[in-house]
Amino acid sequence: MKELLEGSRAVAEIVKLCKPGVISAYPITPQTHIVEELATMVNNGELSAQFVNVESEHSAASLVLGGVATGVRSYTATSSQGLLYMGEVIFNIAGMRLPLVLTCANRAVSAPINIWNDQQDSLSLRDAGWVQLYAENLQEVADFHLMAYRIAEDKSIMLPVMVCMDGFILTHGMEPLDVPEQGQVDKFLPAYKALYKLDPAEPVSMGLLADPDYYLETRFALQETLKDVLKLLPKVSAEFKSVFNRDYKDCLIEEYMVKDAEKVIVAMGSVCGTVKEVVDELRKKGKKVGLLKVISYRPFPYQRIYDSLKDVAKVGILDKAVSLGAYPPLAAEIKGAFCGKKKSPKVISSFVAGLGGRDITPETVKEVFLKLNQKEVNNEFIDLKPELLKESYGE
Amino acid sequence: MENSLLFKPGHTACAGCGQAIAAKIVIEAAGPDTIVVNNTGCLEVFTAKFPETAWGVPWIHSLFENAAAVASGVEAALKYLGKKESVNVIAQAGDGGTADIGLQALSGMLERGHDILYVCYDNEAYMNCLSTSSLILTKDGLKKITEVKVGDEVYVFDQKTHQLVIKKCSGVFDNGRKEVFELKTLHHTIKATANHPFLVLQRNGRGRQNALVWKALEDVGAGDRVVTLKSLNGGKPFKFPQVEKVERGDFKVNKINEINLPGESSVELMKYLGIFVGDGWRRSNRGEIGFALPQGKKAREVLVDLHQRIFASKVSMHKDYVYINSINLAKFIDTLGLGQGAKNKTVPGWVFTLPQDQREAFVEGMMLADGYDCRGSKRYVSANPALLQRLRLLTQTLNYRVGKIHMQVKKKGTLCVSRELLADSRYGYICFSKKKEAQIEKYPSQYRYRDFLIDNKFFQTEEVISIESKGIEPTLDLRVEDEHNFIADGIVVHNTGVQRSGLTPFSTSTSTSPVGKCSAGNVRPKKPMPDIAAAHGIPYVATATVAFIPDLQRKVKKALSIKGPKYLQIHVPCPLGWRYETEQTLQVAKLAVETGLYPIIEYENGVLIPRKITPKPVEEYLKSQGRFKHLLADPEEIRKIQAVADNNIQKYNLKVEEQVQQKITQ
Repeated sequence: MKELLEGSRAVAEIVKLCKPGVISAYPITPQTHIVEELATMVNNGELSAQFVNVESEHSAASLVLGGVATGVRSYTATSSQGLLYMGEVIFNIAGMRLPLVLTCANRAVSAPINIWNDQQDSLSLRDAGWVQLYAENLQEVADFHLMAYRIAEDKSIMLPVMVCMDGFILTHGMEPLDVPEQGQVDKFLPAYKALYKLDPAEPVSMGLLADPDYYLETRFALQETLKDVLKLLPKVSAEFKSVFNRDYKDCLIEEYMVKDAEKVIVAMGSVCGTVKEVVDELRKKGKKVGLLKVISYRPFPYQRIYDSLKDVAKVGILDKAVSLGAYPPLAAEIKGAFCGKKKSPKVISSFVAGLGGRDITPETVKEVFLKLNQKEVNNEFIDLKPELLKESYGE
Repeated sequence: MENSLLFKPGHTACAGCGQAIAAKIVIEAAGPDTIVVNNTGCLEVFTAKFPETAWGVPWIHSLFENAAAVASGVEAALKYLGKKESVNVIAQAGDGGTADIGLQALSGMLERGHDILYVCYDNEAYMNCLSTSSLILTKDGLKKITEVKVGDEVYVFDQKTHQLVIKKCSGVFDNGRKEVFELKTLHHTIKATANHPFLVLQRNGRGRQNALVWKALEDVGAGDRVVTLKSLNGGKPFKFPQVEKVERGDFKVNKINEINLPGESSVELMKYLGIFVGDGWRRSNRGEIGFALPQGKKAREVLVDLHQRIFASKVSMHKDYVYINSINLAKFIDTLGLGQGAKNKTVPGWVFTLPQDQREAFVEGMMLADGYDCRGSKRYVSANPALLQRLRLLTQTLNYRVGKIHMQVKKKGTLCVSRELLADSRYGYICFSKKKEAQIEKYPSQYRYRDFLIDNKFFQTEEVISIESKGIEPTLDLRVEDEHNFIADGIVVHNTGVQRSGLTPFSTSTSTSPVGKCSAGNVRPKKPMPDIAAAHGIPYVATATVAFIPDLQRKVKKALSIKGPKYLQIHVPCPLGWRYETEQTLQVAKLAVETGLYPIIEYENGVLIPRKITPKPVEEYLKSQGRFKHLLADPEEIRKIQAVADNNIQKYNLKVEEQVQQKITQ
C-alpha cells in the first residue's frame, strides 16, 4: 500500500522498522526532520530505543560507535558540516569494523555557508572505508536503508554504510511510496547478532594500537572487503526483490535507455529523475540518449560501468560536487574505468552543476547533451552567471 | 606489581609510572563486570598494542577526545539490553583528553546524566631528540640515525639486569631543527637537544646503593657520570654475499688468477681487510687490488703471508707496493663496503657485528697500515675524520681506553714521504690502549663506590667533561619498544617527549611551555576540573592520588555505588615527564597533597568534604622534581606558587583545625 510521505518521515518510518536500539544525533538542516520524527516515535513508545540528544555530531558518531560496539544495532543521521565534524569518527568506525548505518542528507559545505543541496559532504569522505549508496527517490531511500543494514551486518563485511539522499529535494519532498510491513522487514533483516562486542561475559579489547608491523594489513583487509561488497550487493538486491517485489537489479548502477544510446549522461542521486524525463523527451524526438545512474559510489563498480558504456560514443558526467584542483569525484572514477582498456567512448566530458542548491532543470540537462556534440571538456561548470564573476573588490 | 586478572602485567609502561598503578587500582576496585572506554593516551598505548592487551575486562579505545561520548553509547546500549544494573561503565583519559580536547564530550556526558564513572589520570602534561649526525648501534652493525628504520633491532640497556639486550625500534621521529648541545666524556662525544634524557649515576651516600636515573641533558652537569658502552661481547662471523666468480674460459678474460674466496669473516681476513682500509686500493675494472706497502715495512710481510693463506693466490711485488691481479678478488672487495680512496674509506657497519677477536684483528690490521705505538698507547693517523670517528666507536666496543680525535694541519711545503706538500693538509689521529683490569678486590671503595657498573661486561659510567651549545641542527628521535632507550655514539640515551596541557600547573617547564629568559614556564594555573565537573550538578566528584591507595579504592567503590555521572581525578606522577627517580612516585604524590598543591576532596551532592592536611611549604614538593628546578633559586616564583597552595587550602578548607592539631601533638 502506498503512502504519501515527506522524505524525512519516510526515513524515520523505515529506520523504525529496522529496530535500532541506540539512536543519537545532533540537529542540522536538512537532516533535522529525520531525528525529530524518530525522537517522537521513541517518546510515544512506537519505537523501543535509547534516543540520546548529544552536544555535537562528533559525540553523536562516537555514541553510536559505542552502541554498535556493545552489540546493539545503532543509527545516526547528519549533513554537511555535521558529517565533516564527524569525519574523524567516520574513519574510526570503518577501521574498527563496526556495522553502523548513517543517513547523510546531502548539503553543500561552508564557506560560504549554504544549507542547500549538493553532494560535496559525503563525497569528501569517500576514502573513509564506508559503503556509500546514492538514492534517486524516496522509495530508493527507504529500500536502500534496509539493504544497508543487511550489507553492513553481513558477517563477511562488517562495515558501516552511508545512505546518501539529496537534502531538501528528497528530505523535504513528498512522494507516494510503499512502506513495507514489519513482518516483511523482519524476514529480510533479522535481529543483529554481533561477531564481537563489549560484554563482561567474554571480555575483548577493541581499538588497539597497530604499529607498522600490522597497520598496512588492516587497510588491505578493508580494501578487499569493499571489493566483496560489489559481489554481495547483487545477491542482497535479489533477495530484496523476492521479499518486497521491487527490482534494483545488481544495485550497483541503473541503466536507463543505455543499450543503443549514442550519448549517455552519468549522474548520482535525485538529478537522475530529471535526466530520465529529458531522455524520454529526446527519445520521442528520435535522439539516441540514455542515463547511467551510479548507486554504489563506494565500492565503485568499475567493471559494470565499463561493460555498460564501452560501446557508447559520447558520455557526459554530471557531478554535484567538485574535487577542487582535479577532476570532479564521479568523473574521475568514470574516466578511470576506461583507463588502459580496449574500448572507450570517444568523448568523456565532465560537468559540474547544481552546487549549493542551484537548480538543475531539464534545460540544464539538455544543454549537457548538446555539449556532448563538441569536443571533450573537463570540469565545465554549467549555468554559471557571468555577471557574478566580474571582480568587484579593490583596485 | 602483583598479578591481576583485570589489569594484566607485561604492559609497557615506564618504571614508576603513576598512571599504571592508578589504572590497576581503579579496575580492581570496579571488578570484572565493568566496560572500560579509553581515550588515546599513554594508558591506551602501553596497555593495548596489537596483538597484546593488558585488559581482562571489555575495553574499547576510539579517539583522543571521545571516551565520554563512546561510553554514553555503551551505557545507552546496556540500558537497551536491560543490563545496565549489572555492568559498570568507566570512561577514562589523561588530563589532556579530559580538560582540553575531551572537555566538550565530557561536559555532554555529565549534563545528560549517564550512569558512568569518568576517571581522569592527571599527570599534568602531554607526556626529545638527537642530532642527525649520531651513530646508532644496531644488530646489523653501526647505522647513522637517519638510516635507522622502524623494525630495526637496536642494542639497548636493560634497566633491570644492566645487560646489553636487543629490542625493536618502533618509531623514528623528525624533531625539526633545534639547538643542540655537545656532551663530552673522556671517551665519548654526542650531540643532543637540552631535553634529551641520559642515564646518570646517582650516588645515594655512604652505605646506600647507588642508582641509575634518567636526567635531561639540561640537568646533567660536568662531573656527573653517564652510562656508556664498554664492550660489545658476542657477535658472529659475517656471512659474505655470494660473488659471482668469473671462471676460466669466460670471454671477458684471457688470463685468470685462481683464487679462493672466503664465505665468512675470520680473524685473518679481518686483519687483511684492516690493512686494506689503511693502505689498500682497488681498480675494479682492471681487476687489481694493491697495497702501498714499500719494501721493509712490517705490514708488507704480514699482508703477503695472509694473502697466500686466505686466498691461496699469487701476489706481485714492486719495491714501493704489492698488488694482486684478480678480477674476482676485486669483485669480492667491492661487496664489502670498505670505501674507495683515502677520503672515503670507512669501517662498514657489519664490522660491529663481529666477534670480539675479529673486531680486534681489524683494528690491528688498520694499525699495521697507518698506526704506530706512542708512549704505551696506540696511535692511528688518517686524513679522513669520518673514518676516525667510526674507528673510535669500534675501539669502544673492545673495552679500550679511547682518546678524542685530534685534528692537525700539515703546512704547505712540508716534506711528505719524498715530496713537498702543495697545499695545507688536514689530518687527524686518535690514541687508544687496552684497559687494565680493575683491581676491585684490592681497592673496592675506589672502584665500586665510584662506579657500581665496574663488574659489568657491557656498560660503564664515565664522567662528563663538558657540555657546550653547538648551534641549530636537524634532530631526530627513535622510539624503542619496552626499554625505551638505545645506544647513540656509544652513550645510553632515552627515547622521547612532554607538552603542556590544561591541567599543567603554574610555572611548570614543559617542551611547549619551556623556561626561557622571559618565562618561568607555563603561565596559567591548573584548570579547576573538579569544580567544573561539580558545576554540572552531578552527584559525586572526587580527587584522589596514588599516594593514598585505600582512599582511592574507597572512592572508586563509592562512585560506582551512586547512580548517574561521576567524576574522579587521580594525581598520577610521571617520572620521565616530571624528572624524578622512578621509586619516588608515591613520595612525590604525597608531597603534592601535603603542601596543598593537590587538594584531595570529595563533593557529595555538592557538599565539600576535604582531606585535611598540616601544610608543608611548597618548596618541599618543588625540589622533588626536575620540572620545577628552574624555580628553586627564584623566591618570587616560589612565593607565587605558595600563594596557589594557600588559596587551595583556604578554598577547600584543607587545614587541620587548631584543636585537632593539638590533640595530635598531645
